[in-house]
Amino acid sequence: MLLENMKMALSALRANKMRSFLTMLGIIIGIGSVIAITSVGDTMRKMFSDIYQDVGVTQGYISIGYWIEEVRDSDYFTMDDMETYKEVFGDKLAYVDSGSSVTGEIATDITKKNFYFYGIDYNYIDVQPVNIVYGRYLNEADVLARKPNCVIDRASAEELYGSAAAAVGRTFRITVYGNVTEFNIIGVFEKEQSAFTALMTGSSANGEAYIPWTLLTWPNDRIYQCHFFADPDMTAEELAQFNEEFAAYVARTKNRQPEDFYVITAQSEMSTVDSMLSGVSAAVAGIAAISLLVGGIGIMNIMLVSVTERTREIGTRKALGATTRDIMIQFLTESAVLSAIGGIIGIALAATLVSILGALFSLPVVIKPFVVLMAVGFSAVVGIFFGIYPAKKAAERDPIIALRYE
Amino acid sequence: MSELIRLENLVKIYDTGSLRVLGLDKINLTINRGEFVAIMGHSGSGKSTLMNILGCLDTPTLGKYYLDGVDVAGMSPNELSRIRNRKIGFVFQSFNLISRMTILKNVEVPLTYARVRPSERRKRALELLDLVGLSARVDHQPNELSGGQRQRVAIARALANDPPLILADEPTGNLDSQASIEIMELFARLHRDGATVVVVTHEENIAAYTHRIITFNDGRLIGDRINETPTEISEADAGLGRRMS
Repeated sequence: MLLENMKMALSALRANKMRSFLTMLGIIIGIGSVIAITSVGDTMRKMFSDIYQDVGVTQGYISIGYWIEEVRDSDYFTMDDMETYKEVFGDKLAYVDSGSSVTGEIATDITKKNFYFYGIDYNYIDVQPVNIVYGRYLNEADVLARKPNCVIDRASAEELYGSAAAAVGRTFRITVYGNVTEFNIIGVFEKEQSAFTALMTGSSANGEAYIPWTLLTWPNDRIYQCHFFADPDMTAEELAQFNEEFAAYVARTKNRQPEDFYVITAQSEMSTVDSMLSGVSAAVAGIAAISLLVGGIGIMNIMLVSVTERTREIGTRKALGATTRDIMIQFLTESAVLSAIGGIIGIALAATLVSILGALFSLPVVIKPFVVLMAVGFSAVVGIFFGIYPAKKAAERDPIIALRYE
Repeated sequence: MSELIRLENLVKIYDTGSLRVLGLDKINLTINRGEFVAIMGHSGSGKSTLMNILGCLDTPTLGKYYLDGVDVAGMSPNELSRIRNRKIGFVFQSFNLISRMTILKNVEVPLTYARVRPSERRKRALELLDLVGLSARVDHQPNELSGGQRQRVAIARALANDPPLILADEPTGNLDSQASIEIMELFARLHRDGATVVVVTHEENIAAYTHRIITFNDGRLIGDRINETPTEISEADAGLGRRMS
């Protein structure tokens, strides 16, 4: 019976093609914009989460609060502190360093380029994986002995020396904390990163290089901040708990309250961005949903016209044995089919539009099946909801009057 | 002959708020199975009101209406829909076919509401269209047919659920004289084959085909006579359908 009602509805809609299409247009635009907007929102969320994934979701920084007026010597970190943290937290604390970096210029016969020199520990590769394309990574001995060794990124190596192989073994001088230091290039690395991160950071004009972090603490060994990575295998809950425990431990060992420390974790940043983005996309989708409402009213309007035009048909059907329910279902099916078809066209349109946008910006586009299902369901619900009144009107027609209607 | 319709002291009052109009005044009437009856009268005589009540499209204010042994006077609209579907085959003056559907689909409509399976429905509709001589036109839309042909589709539709009563309201009102003859001869043959046919008309020559003529005036039944000499119909030994196409 349902299938037949649908066939009947389709034939009724076909009888008035232009009108049916114009009526659908409201739903097409409504559903299309809701899907397009949520898809753009989801794509952006995915983009940020990918970037954080590349940057390291378990990482964080902790330092004495910038609002603290009287900073004690003990509020700073020492290398011994760092060792203690590693011992206390064990595997949970995957990595610590001072989070320090310096800038400098490397000049060769070919060209020159500005660099960020990041101070890292030898196991930084475990938390921020890179491919060594030539030479080697920094090792424990480099770090402990504070050797001026350096690994640089592949693109810069090729730019400055012609090739990764040619870069290894070269030396350059930069000024670190006022002292001119000569560094040896011992390796060339290449980052593994998502399309999103590449898009966001690809055009950076500066080269990247890693040097032992011990070079950036020396000579006074007083470290302003602790940069850490928790175990990357942690769940979100475990990570949140660890972040809290770690900050509390640091505060306790420094005779301070946890709120005296300034803590930034990728996790909390990520959730801020995420909730901001979902807030924005929900708001915009809400506005788009209003157009869906307008589309629904359009359906109601045209169904009322259709009910009036087909008064004779309704009268005839009733005379031939249609019950109130039969007529009601006939017209409800018609408005639901009208709006569901509009919904499907809207989805196709939105998917095409978003894919074209994605291709233009070379971004992998996110269209959630759940959202699509919701949209189809919602458009059918809109059709049924706005179809109820006209269908009821049709069903309640007195057959005698309806049969006489001209 | 068994009783198909019995009206007992049937009264219909139209209450328009300020004005109460007596539509039918204490009608007592019995129609047996297999009768071919004309209900005559001028407009405003009450014949349309009676037709609506006989057709279960309307309910009487007072009195009883037994159709096929069941009192339908107090039934709900949905119960009446069921009765109309199973017990009554309507033929209207202006055919009332659904314009965007093929004539086959039109004939299927009452079967749909009787919840007959699609394959069964199609078979039955094809048989009926064959009976009225339109088997060559099953896929045509109503507007591709002449008035007489459309009315034959309507008659096929009226027969769909094999109802005990065929109720025709001015069935020739929109037809030329040749088509009118065709349609009345079709009713006469249906009657000859055992159907009960009630035709509402104001035309003497249409009523002349029937065997019993009931006359209304001012809401009252004023005449009920047997027509001893109904209009002869042309022989149709070769079969109803083939002759008429």
